[in-house]
Amino acid sequence: MSAPIQVPSQVYEPFHAGLPPLIRYSKSLWLRRTFIVEYSRSELRSKNFGSFFGQLWLILNPLLLSAVYFLLIVIIRGSSDSARYVHLTATLFLFYFVSNSLTGGVKAVTGGQRLILNTAFPRIMLPISAVVIALFRFLPTLLVFLIIRTVLGGAFFWQMLWAIPILFITTLLSLGLAITISCMNVYFRDIASFLPYLTRTILYLSPVLYESSALSPKVLKIEILNPLFPLLDSWSQALVHGQAPQTSSMLVALAWAVAIFVIGSYIFLSREREFAVRL
Amino acid sequence: MNLPSVSNAHKTNEIAVSVRGLGLTYTTSIERRPTLKARAKSLGRGTKHTRVIQALDNVNLDVEYGHVLGVIGSNGAGKSSMMRVIAGIIPPTQGRIEVFGSVSTLLALGVGFNPSMSGRDNVFLGGLAAGMTRDQIEDNFQEIADFSELGDAIDAPMRTYSSGMFSRLAFSVAATVRPDILIVDEALSTGDAKFKEKSLNRIKELRSDDRALIIVSHAMGTLREVCNDVAWLNKGVLVQRGEPNATIDAYQDFLQVKRSAASDEDV
Repeated sequence: MSAPIQVPSQVYEPFHAGLPPLIRYSKSLWLRRTFIVEYSRSELRSKNFGSFFGQLWLILNPLLLSAVYFLLIVIIRGSSDSARYVHLTATLFLFYFVSNSLTGGVKAVTGGQRLILNTAFPRIMLPISAVVIALFRFLPTLLVFLIIRTVLGGAFFWQMLWAIPILFITTLLSLGLAITISCMNVYFRDIASFLPYLTRTILYLSPVLYESSALSPKVLKIEILNPLFPLLDSWSQALVHGQAPQTSSMLVALAWAVAIFVIGSYIFLSREREFAVRL
Repeated sequence: MNLPSVSNAHKTNEIAVSVRGLGLTYTTSIERRPTLKARAKSLGRGTKHTRVIQALDNVNLDVEYGHVLGVIGSNGAGKSSMMRVIAGIIPPTQGRIEVFGSVSTLLALGVGFNPSMSGRDNVFLGGLAAGMTRDQIEDNFQEIADFSELGDAIDAPMRTYSSGMFSRLAFSVAATVRPDILIVDEALSTGDAKFKEKSLNRIKELRSDDRALIIVSHAMGTLREVCNDVAWLNKGVLVQRGEPNATIDAYQDFLQVKRSAASDEDV
């Protein structure tokens, strides 16, 4: 019965704010990648998006939204045209991807209380799932946009492929935002109530209801503080006008996305082991 | 019932869990919910709206493979907290926990199941969350379903389940996953007599297969039957640990209920 010297597979020691071993963490996150997809799917299904009319609503909802905002533009400006509507739908749908990531992310950790209190797993999966859900909801609207553009907008250009890197940066930004806000909501539970005002403000500060060319240079300078501005501007540039976006705005967008993702993940990872006692 | 073919890499009497000098304090906020408003208010007054609770204090405990450790104690003694620390859900405040092997937990609240989905989907979800692959779950699914005796109800949404059905499914998942170490927290008490018998048999099987088990329960009769070892916690302190009958007797003397028929019956 000689006990051989063993290496413990897990060691738990007192919590101190700091990063967990990143390699082991990402391994265990990678191991659960199917869980992220399944969890997102089950959340979608539990909101009745599994049924036919539920899925129809996924498409109907953004269409109705774009109709309402288009009405607003027509009333304020007195007139409008189809090009403006194409711009509106393109940017509005992408904006709602980010906005849905935020609204899903804010409750991701606090809403996953049962899961957190009873299972040991990388907590960052929860905000990631929120973004995956938002992405699942965004993809059908992208299809709707392409149909609208074909009907109203005419020709397609190869420059439209710029949309792919832009979508990639947007996803990174959404991940960063969802991770940050899900962690903040653990410590300040009223953030969820401020969120609608925050997203509404960002919507009006972003080139959705107007095009960036309509802004004065002074305002444009301030817009560098809006992480969504260069993304939505480039998105419209590529998908609506079929032009390559400006390198500078792509770089600003990428810098914002990487910065928010890294800072948000750092805050989340260094705090997540404490979540179970905070909930 | 045969235990599935996955063999156990551990031998009897090897250490499974080692708990050294474990201390755990909770800092709970007195405000019902931590909010920006509450934080701003206490900032102005310069006071901290928190209360510190000592849940565990300098607990030392070893669990060996091939053993079943029962954990007893009054409500609020820190039993569940200790299980959560061993499972890696809550970090300890002091001390060090070493775990030699894979852990499967069955804690009081059940797995993080989504009630609007069917039992089948939830088994997959729970298994994936625990780090299993889809194939592994599929291979074991039939066994889980059979063991839980849910029949056709496995495809009904879990919100339609009775609490007994719920815990039957949860126990089946946790016990079929074949962990090196299984932690069960008061989950055996909701099943009916037949299922209780069955899960006790499963626990004994796991024990003879040299797995390590930790069982938190108030059912003293069950503990006397399956445990090799009982630990008694009181207010976060390990009072006594040793032979089941002696420890349980001491605990019941302490509670001044003696071994009356009522307290010995499975609750």
